[in-house]
Amino acid sequence: MEADVVRSEMVLPPVMPFKRVQMGDKYQKGQSRGRYWKHLKQLLQAENFISLPLDEPNYLNIESPPSMYPSKKYCDITGFEAPYVDPRTKLRYADPEVFKRVRNLPNDHVQRYLALRNAAVIIR
Amino acid sequence: MGEIRIARQTDYDLFSPTTPIVIDNGGSTFRIGWAGESDPRIMFRNVAFRPRHRSTGETVTVVGEHDPALFKYFDCTRSSWRSPFDNNVVYQFEIMEYVLDYGFDRLGASSSMAGKVDHPILMTECICNPVYSRAKMAELLFETYGVPSVAFGVDAAFSYKYNQNLGICAEDGFALSIGFMTTHSIPILKGEPLPEGSCRTNVGGYHVTNYLKEVLSLKYPYHAPSITWEKAEELKREHCYVAPDYPSELQIFKKETKEAEEKKWVWQLPWVPPPQEELPSEEELARKAAIKEKQGQRLREMAAAKRSQKITDLENELHVLETLLSQLDEAELPEVASSILARSGYLSRQEIESAHSRVSQSLRKARGEPAVTVEENTDTATSADKYPLVSIPDEMLTPDQLKEKKRQIFLKTTSEGRLRAKQKRAEEEMMRERQNQLEEGRRLENPELYLEELRAKYKELSEKIDQRKRLKTNGNGNGNGNGTGNGNNVSGGTGRGERLNAAQRERMRLLTTALFDKGKGEDTFGLKDEDWQLYKLMSKDTDDDDDDVVDPDEAELERVAAKLQEFDPSFVGRAEAELMQSTQEPPRPRALTAEDYQVVLGVERFRCPEVLFQPGMIGEYQAGIDEIVSHSLRRLPNLDSSIKDRMCQSIIVTGGGSLLPGLEQRLETGIRATRPYLSPLKIVRAVDSVMDAWRGASVYAASELFSTQTFSLEDYNEKGEDWLKRYNIVYSLYD
Repeated sequence: MEADVVRSEMVLPPVMPFKRVQMGDKYQKGQSRGRYWKHLKQLLQAENFISLPLDEPNYLNIESPPSMYPSKKYCDITGFEAPYVDPRTKLRYADPEVFKRVRNLPNDHVQRYLALRNAAVIIR
Repeated sequence: MGEIRIARQTDYDLFSPTTPIVIDNGGSTFRIGWAGESDPRIMFRNVAFRPRHRSTGETVTVVGEHDPALFKYFDCTRSSWRSPFDNNVVYQFEIMEYVLDYGFDRLGASSSMAGKVDHPILMTECICNPVYSRAKMAELLFETYGVPSVAFGVDAAFSYKYNQNLGICAEDGFALSIGFMTTHSIPILKGEPLPEGSCRTNVGGYHVTNYLKEVLSLKYPYHAPSITWEKAEELKREHCYVAPDYPSELQIFKKETKEAEEKKWVWQLPWVPPPQEELPSEEELARKAAIKEKQGQRLREMAAAKRSQKITDLENELHVLETLLSQLDEAELPEVASSILARSGYLSRQEIESAHSRVSQSLRKARGEPAVTVEENTDTATSADKYPLVSIPDEMLTPDQLKEKKRQIFLKTTSEGRLRAKQKRAEEEMMRERQNQLEEGRRLENPELYLEELRAKYKELSEKIDQRKRLKTNGNGNGNGNGTGNGNNVSGGTGRGERLNAAQRERMRLLTTALFDKGKGEDTFGLKDEDWQLYKLMSKDTDDDDDDVVDPDEAELERVAAKLQEFDPSFVGRAEAELMQSTQEPPRPRALTAEDYQVVLGVERFRCPEVLFQPGMIGEYQAGIDEIVSHSLRRLPNLDSSIKDRMCQSIIVTGGGSLLPGLEQRLETGIRATRPYLSPLKIVRAVDSVMDAWRGASVYAASELFSTQTFSLEDYNEKGEDWLKRYNIVYSLYD
């Protein structure tokens, strides 16, 4: 290890004296451990909240319902109020100058703007 | 943000095993310290990174933030910073273990001989944490770290409790905790949180920063690499604010008033101006001019020397030839003549004479005298001699001579053709000259009118060309579209009412005849080479390429355009106009100034925090943070309205996301809109929104009754998962 890396102690040592089981023993090298852990969605499915009584609060229960207020539409590029939508790219825009900019955007920018709004069409 | 390098604590052993360790396991920051202290000892970003060390090749683990310069020793491309959280729930316990390792290590646990972390642990979690996550966390603490007992609590409740003891808020109220990925509104009654009334919306500080980063990167794609996550966080922390009324704030910026100008923040990226070339001083200029003069002079001298050399050479040659000629003249006997000829290397007297005339000609040119046009006459005179056989009729010649005659005819016609072409070109030149002079005259007379005429002509011509092009492509499009029907639908529809021109009709005919199945009779296509020429005729590409004849209109257009460019300052060529429309970037030739390296935060300053109030802006169709309080209240129908009023007078805003300026005011207007008219409302920010959760937990853990709230491994094993699900601590231990 290089001297300054050692000095900064940024790397975790493989053996920690306060642990009963060390990382190296628990997780064998070379195995892909990422898929081993259940993501939140799977956790919640496993939890099976439907079978539980409805009035008991649980992780899903306390989630907020959709907003009471109708969502306002804002221009994707400038942030002002946007009464118009470009039919080709589905981006919202506020006035004709912004429209020019919308039409001149490269395609990946269009997708990124839409993704900001969670409106991008994902083709897998 | 913690220091880049966190020093290891040295007093771990001084704490007895009964002293709990308090951990605030937050979505953005991990805080760990001792119960009873006012501040956590260690704080760092709750992320881990597993790069490969370049020189040894092994994969190592790095937790939290470190000096970025040290990362050059690692291959950081294959891995990324990972968090143990998914939304606000811990799911990745391997990363969690790395984080805990680092936290305990820096707390000083590595110096203890116990072989385990021999202190009770109080850890924070989100409200209604799924039991799976809780169980896994308990397992990790018990089995890997050997912790004797564990307690879980909600960070927002600890923060509320802490502020309650400080007198900021009352026994009944709301804790509005704006976290990293989520925001919770938790009603507190008699000091205890009510999970059944709490409400969570999935927007938090992360979404604000991410929005800012994306919006700036898209607005300034040139500077996208400089707009990192850390930089975006810094900008958010320093310059973002919450607009008291979003639409009117937008209007201020839309109208570009002076107020808008003041509110804009400009981030100047580092930029080095190109080295300014000093204007050379007078002496410099004079010196340079002198040098140039000298060089010019030298070149001129060299040229003159060469020319005089050439002249003398030519003169010598001329002299030699003349002596030869005179010798030949003097020679009376043919043998002498031939011997002279043989010596000199010329085959005949004629050759010598022609050489002589050539040399004298070049001599005259070199001397700068006008060329004598004697040449032409001699040429024409000798044309009859050069092609003697041409005039003699065929019958009188031998086969050899016939061949010779053919060659001479060929040579004659070509040279005559060349002459004619030259003459024609000269004529055209003269005509063009005359025309130009006329135009010049017209221009000088009346420049305005001339320009007008030119512009009108230009417009006319360009329209004509455009129209023709459009017809061509439309017709081709039609023809092509029909052609791909390939036998199925070959009947040419003209579509859109445009006539096919002659070429297209021809092509249509070919396609129909070629593709139509003749049925009986053998298909003899392809036996002859010429058949394949059919494809050439059918193809529409050759149509365009065969335009060898330069379109007269286009040529005229070119000429007019050139003229306009010269005289009309406001003229923009068609090609250039198209180019300007299609490029998005400004033309680069102009020099980059300091302004190009500026990132302006105008609307973005309050647009990004607005995400908290209008999650619809990022596509989350949930309630904003002001609305969730009303949802919380609605979930408590059994509460008396007087109690609700009382609760609304003690709303605490806590959590890292609450540091935005203008937040409380906006929250107040938002929540007031959902409450009955004139009902009391009071919103207060926590004393220290970031640290109060840990501090509350620390005070809690230090109280005497804390041990009644923890559970040990035996408890966990005996009572099972169901019990763990219902496990909830009592927060009012120390009232």
